[in-house]
Amino acid sequence: MSFTYFLKRAAFAALALAALMTSAFFLVRLTGDPVNLYLPVDASDAAREAMRIRLGLDRSLPAQFFDWAWDILSLDFGMSLWHNRPAMDVVLEALPNTLALGAIALALAFTAAIVMGSIAAVNAGGWIDRGVNVLSQAAASVPDFWLGLMGVLLFAVTFRILPTSGFGGPIYWVLPVACLFARPFGTLVQIVRGSMIEALNATFVRTARAKGARDGRVTFVHALRNALLPAVTVTGDLAAQFAGGGGVVEVVFGFPGIGKLLIDGILKRDFAIVQASIFAVAVVIFVINILVDMLYASIDPRVRVE
Amino acid sequence: MKKITGIHALSMGLAMSLAASAAIPAPAATDKLTVVVTDEPKSLDPCDTDLSGNSRILHNNITEALVNLSPKDGSVVPSLATSWRQVDNLTWEFKLREGVTFHDGKAFDTNAVIAALKRAQDPALGCEVGVATLKGLKLNAEAVNPTTLLIKTDVVEPILPNKMSALDIGSPATPGDTKTRTPAGTGPYKLVAWTPGQSVGLVAYEGYWGDKPAIPNATIIWRAESAVRAAMVDTGEAQIAYEIAPQDGTTGQDHAFPNAETSLLRIDAQIAPLNDKRVREALNLAIDRDGLIGTIFHKDAQKAMQVVPPSVFGFNPDIPVWTYDPEKAKSLLAAAKADGVPVDKEIVIYGRIGIYPNSSESLEAIQAMLADAGFNARLEMLETSPWLKRLLKPWSKDRQPSILQTQIDNAEGDAVFTLPNRFTTDGNQSTITDAGLDKLIADGSKATGDERKKLFQQAFKYIAVDTVNIAPLFHMVTIARVAKNVNYTPDVQAGNEIKLKSISYR
Repeated sequence: MSFTYFLKRAAFAALALAALMTSAFFLVRLTGDPVNLYLPVDASDAAREAMRIRLGLDRSLPAQFFDWAWDILSLDFGMSLWHNRPAMDVVLEALPNTLALGAIALALAFTAAIVMGSIAAVNAGGWIDRGVNVLSQAAASVPDFWLGLMGVLLFAVTFRILPTSGFGGPIYWVLPVACLFARPFGTLVQIVRGSMIEALNATFVRTARAKGARDGRVTFVHALRNALLPAVTVTGDLAAQFAGGGGVVEVVFGFPGIGKLLIDGILKRDFAIVQASIFAVAVVIFVINILVDMLYASIDPRVRVE
Repeated sequence: MKKITGIHALSMGLAMSLAASAAIPAPAATDKLTVVVTDEPKSLDPCDTDLSGNSRILHNNITEALVNLSPKDGSVVPSLATSWRQVDNLTWEFKLREGVTFHDGKAFDTNAVIAALKRAQDPALGCEVGVATLKGLKLNAEAVNPTTLLIKTDVVEPILPNKMSALDIGSPATPGDTKTRTPAGTGPYKLVAWTPGQSVGLVAYEGYWGDKPAIPNATIIWRAESAVRAAMVDTGEAQIAYEIAPQDGTTGQDHAFPNAETSLLRIDAQIAPLNDKRVREALNLAIDRDGLIGTIFHKDAQKAMQVVPPSVFGFNPDIPVWTYDPEKAKSLLAAAKADGVPVDKEIVIYGRIGIYPNSSESLEAIQAMLADAGFNARLEMLETSPWLKRLLKPWSKDRQPSILQTQIDNAEGDAVFTLPNRFTTDGNQSTITDAGLDKLIADGSKATGDERKKLFQQAFKYIAVDTVNIAPLFHMVTIARVAKNVNYTPDVQAGNEIKLKSISYR
């Protein structure tokens, strides 16, 4: 990947980010006035107006927008109404938790999907293949919140081997990771299986076999390398989704990540938190996309990222 | 490399499970207590205790007020003030407790109260107590000496001590120009840490003036899911969990307690067909309250006939509870229709998601009941922000006829905390414009003793019976799950206050 390519991508990303942040500014304001949410219902009209003035919400929307845009240029996202702290500070505390949670879940899902998908493809049509199919389709369809609550009931309440929720050592990560693992695992198994079946029937695999290559080498080196490309693409998309946090899973487990923060921010009309979260997630997605491109090129030398 | 066989994999899995189980927190030692609530506090500033999420952590744990309200009868009892009296119509005198210190070492005296009062009323700070409980009242405090305080009011305020129960006093070192996240109070516990997104830690304050708490360390955490909160008590991760949904709270450890909240439907009586009293009566007669209780609402909830529970001063015991009579409702609607009232017009039921457990289900059932009685009602469930837009003025003149699901809290124990905003012409949530009722409420607010009670009782009767402006539903309960080895009985104030110093292990 050349530096020019990176600069081009960065320029496009900056434009996209500007458009995204502009939309976020206006859309979040369309959802309602935060003042009513932040004051007791018995507060007087004068108190409401005073708060609107204090927050600058009494000014015209364009005036609010230009001030806000100017502040964003210096990465000042303003104060969080709920947390009473700079919004970006709150976001930067939550983001690493989500990235770690997503990375672990996705890495496990990707690895397990390659193994299971390849085994199913090698045994296509057999009972192992059918079993993997059922398992992967179930994993891809099960709702996160249901899986989370069942996990709590089974592993925390009944077997007492995992905590119900919370944040701390590795043990607290097991259930959230398991919940986030299911859907990408199910999706990726289907993709790996399909592309492996195609690759195993391709001419280059037949050639390799004719040259006397062993089954394992044919499957895991020749075929898999070609079959990986669609899985990497989908994993890139899934990683981008995960950067926004597994909101429901984070809420169920009280996991202090960006997904929970964003949901809370929207419900509490905490504009600064919503905007800072969107900005941080968008930047992460840009980085993920660049990484996926680089990975893509390294797996398939025919692909040139220019 | 050695191959990993199935047996090896299994034994590794078992070993990992065992390691995992060893890492699970054991049931808390008896010097620690963990309480799980629904939501992280918005602030830990002593002047924000009008929000129950903040008050539960601060009030009577970290910070205290001059007085408290008795959970038994709502009467005013001493706390940081030992006595008080009304000197004249506009002046109250408070005698302060001696030998009290704040957690930061500063002494508690009249200057600390004056600073807290000034701070709470500073519009630039936007304190919850200032904008709600003390709203519209100008208080001027003067120190006679370090333990005698005069508070002068601009209007007659017969229940000033009740209102002072909401004003928690922070250390004079609390910043005057911004909210604090590290409050120092005089309470039995001092703040150790607030880990954002995770927990608030408290530890017993050695220099506390009152009885020492039985449990030295307390942690308050928050989880959004009722099922998870309930499970945490079962696993020993928490000892008390609040706001368990009725369907999750069916064990012997689940205690339902009255929470000073009354659920009701506010009728917008200004828009046809709801501007016809017969239609509003029909609406009340169409609701099968007995059918809702013990099913969608908890079995311990009490059928309501007015907007405050019996513990509130001014409650009127003589207002009858609505009976369920769909046939009578139909005939009232028919009579109204015959007189040209557009009873077929669509009425919107505005609900608020999560206002209480099963809030959506309750309105779905009520919508069906109303349909059975001949109403054309459509349900719209809203999240809090758009619901508040429907609750609070100003409203459009062209709005649809509507009824709104709401819940009114009165833990302060006096009708004045409920009536003015909701039922007077100027009230920011009132759908009534009635000079007679305005006068009744204004006179009641200024009166004392039996006269005050009589006027408020008349006001409640006028709203519920004469104008039929509401469809009262239930005096509500909250469910708390309490670990078997913990002594704790939640009272009517438990919705706003976790009385940590009253909790002990068996």
